[in-house]
Amino acid sequence: MAHSYDVLGLFDNEYDDEGFRTCSVTGLRIHHTVENHVKLFGLTAVVALLVGGIFAFTVATTRWEAIGLLGPDAFYTHLSMHAWNLLIFWMVFTEVAILYVGGPMVLGRRLPWTKVATAGWVTMVAGAVAVNYTIWTTSAPNEAPLLTAYVPMPVSPWFYAAASLFIVGTVVAALPFFVTMWHEKRENPGKTLPLVAFGAFVTSIIAVEALVGGLVAFVPAMLWRFEIIEWVDAAWYRQMYWIVGHGTQQINLVAMITVWYFLTHVVAGAEVVSEKVSRTAFILYLFFINLGAAHHLLSDPAVSTGWRIWNTSYAFYGATFASLIHAFAIPAGIEAGRRKRGTGGGLFGWLTSAPWGNPVFSSTIFSIILFGFLGGTTGVMMGQLQLNMTWHNTFATVGHFHATVVLGTTIAFMGLIFFLIRTMFGRQWLSTRLASAQPFLYAGAMGVAVLMMMYVGILYGVPRRTVEVVETIPGTEFSLSAASPLFAIFGVFALLAIAAGVLFVLLAVGSLLFGKRIDGRDGVSDLVADGGLAMAEDPDDPVHAYEMRGTFVLCLVFLAAFVITYLLNWYLLTQLWSIGA
Amino acid sequence: MTGSTDPDTTASPIASLSRVATRAWRDLLSIYYANTPIWRLLKSAGLLFFGFFCWSASNLVLSYGIDWSVLYVLRAYGFVLILWGPLTHAVIVPSVIRLRRTADGGVRRVIARHGSKLNLSIFLTIVLLLTAAPVSPMVLDFQSALSADSGPDVDPELTCTSTDAEIHCHLSESTGIDHVVVTSGTDEIDRVDEPPFEFTIHEDDLQEVVGQTEFVVELRDEDGDTIRRYRKYTSSI
Repeated sequence: MAHSYDVLGLFDNEYDDEGFRTCSVTGLRIHHTVENHVKLFGLTAVVALLVGGIFAFTVATTRWEAIGLLGPDAFYTHLSMHAWNLLIFWMVFTEVAILYVGGPMVLGRRLPWTKVATAGWVTMVAGAVAVNYTIWTTSAPNEAPLLTAYVPMPVSPWFYAAASLFIVGTVVAALPFFVTMWHEKRENPGKTLPLVAFGAFVTSIIAVEALVGGLVAFVPAMLWRFEIIEWVDAAWYRQMYWIVGHGTQQINLVAMITVWYFLTHVVAGAEVVSEKVSRTAFILYLFFINLGAAHHLLSDPAVSTGWRIWNTSYAFYGATFASLIHAFAIPAGIEAGRRKRGTGGGLFGWLTSAPWGNPVFSSTIFSIILFGFLGGTTGVMMGQLQLNMTWHNTFATVGHFHATVVLGTTIAFMGLIFFLIRTMFGRQWLSTRLASAQPFLYAGAMGVAVLMMMYVGILYGVPRRTVEVVETIPGTEFSLSAASPLFAIFGVFALLAIAAGVLFVLLAVGSLLFGKRIDGRDGVSDLVADGGLAMAEDPDDPVHAYEMRGTFVLCLVFLAAFVITYLLNWYLLTQLWSIGA
Repeated sequence: MTGSTDPDTTASPIASLSRVATRAWRDLLSIYYANTPIWRLLKSAGLLFFGFFCWSASNLVLSYGIDWSVLYVLRAYGFVLILWGPLTHAVIVPSVIRLRRTADGGVRRVIARHGSKLNLSIFLTIVLLLTAAPVSPMVLDFQSALSADSGPDVDPELTCTSTDAEIHCHLSESTGIDHVVVTSGTDEIDRVDEPPFEFTIHEDDLQEVVGQTEFVVELRDEDGDTIRRYRKYTSSI
């Protein structure tokens, strides 16, 4: 049954008379209203990834000063295009799709308020196009906004209008998800939500909070730039701005973890070791994760010492604790699940026997490992009052958020897109071999590039957002040329990572347009976990009866890396000055 | 049902420790010799990252004047590991394992039996050599390039005063500046090519930007590149 707006046969799955079909991989009953909207938002996200990826090339080849592609004026415009398309549009369009998967699809319901969902998509697209237009056409006296269009920096008022339009569109698009949850709980008042739906629900709450925060910041700024109101307090703006500025990244984090639970279960046979513990971790996010935004303002003169101390207090570690729980629970679930399936010999046999040739699995695992080791640990360091001083506004900060948003969220979302191509669009990957290699190339190259960003930032103090540092800092005799060797490694691996990103887009779009159509269960049998998902339901074979010592060893390795990095950062800090020397 | 064996509750602590150590050693050996494509990749990539970390961190700590011998070893170890880790697990270990299956005597058999020990010995020898005599690419320089005879930063103070709708500005020093350009909004208001780079502008020539009348003063070098930029608002002069 093709959708009335079917394009290139992308919306043409077979549904029964009630509009449902059963997914042969997940076993979920999927209504066409949900599926079509997931596809719509997923496809739009890939377009945003393409646009942002083009600007990744110009930005990386500028910061690698051996090439030095752009001058200062053009660089900031390109950097803004890169940031908005990747950090916001690619992420948020995918996240709305995740809400629809985690809500109505997992619960086996139709998507309510479909016209509202479509209107949300139209509004978001209009906002995204307008944001791109206003950034690209920036001219004096306005400046390109990047993500931190701090008042009173002059930025086009139409940019604020466009960003607000996008935010409103996202809230509208989220409404059908909330209505789904409302109906579900009304009809099943005593029944708990499945873990993936629960994660999506927590994501949605954090999302709405962040988005409303965005409106609170952007709308007054827009009114000020249209000269409807006379002024906006700059310190107040910065506080409000970071509700959305960092809040959007918390949405990424929670959505990514939801995807981890979903995909590791489906393609690797992972089971949830303890539902209660995992749910508690999600709830900890709800209460504490927004404190993470504070690290942007820890060097801000406008906030008090009390504000800084509270936002870097043990409360902040409530969110860290939640991440550590997930960091144990997910690999433990994979280990126990695979041992239960008889595929877990030795200490790490469960991991090496896993379906590494399946890009859905490898993307998810690389996301978990690289987010944990590179993104999570550095986030905790930057979130600490004292250590923040050595990271603030250096290129290491850029390394940190590339480690979280690219090595973590983007790679997880790439895995999800690979999954959607097979299960929802019903197309084989254009090349299974290239699809298998892509996560390895992307994660490996981006991992080294991110490591170099952190090194040149934290070790040399190379600043962020500038065009030129290695050659000279204008007006000074100070030279950072000693950082050249690491910048060269950064440049080479950044270009390799971009090439792997191009490969992803080619595979995704190529598979949709030219991929062989899948008919029946056989075409997707390689996606299903060994022994099938039904093993997870066996009440006589509880998952916690299986050992998880491989996960324990991995956690010890992680702890050791964390402690060494932490001590090294503190050592660096102590060397900034010598009291009494 | 479970994959583990029940622990022997009657065993002495020493026996338990011995069992744990034996198991850990066997696990370590099994990981070292694991030869599936994914194991090769995971070990190679893991050691590459670990090598980078050891190399850069030890360089950094050494640059702060901490003269611990172990740091020299760690620096050489990390530097060699960047190449030797992937080489070992992507090439040498698989080759040794293949030789063990196929070598029927002679040198091939000796290499098959002692290949890993040979590989580790060469690796450790290179590490020791580079510890004693580090080559320049492995020594990262973290020290500032500033020296006693380097010139000062170009960072003069810009002072402006306003009298009868005229604004007069001057710089506290002129060293390192080729010319000064004054803009307001989209217009260039003035350009000064001679020291001491004083200038006078009229408020009527200035544009209102974001609700405030402002002008921007840029200090530029002989190539026209901006060295310093100051934004001034008439309301605050």
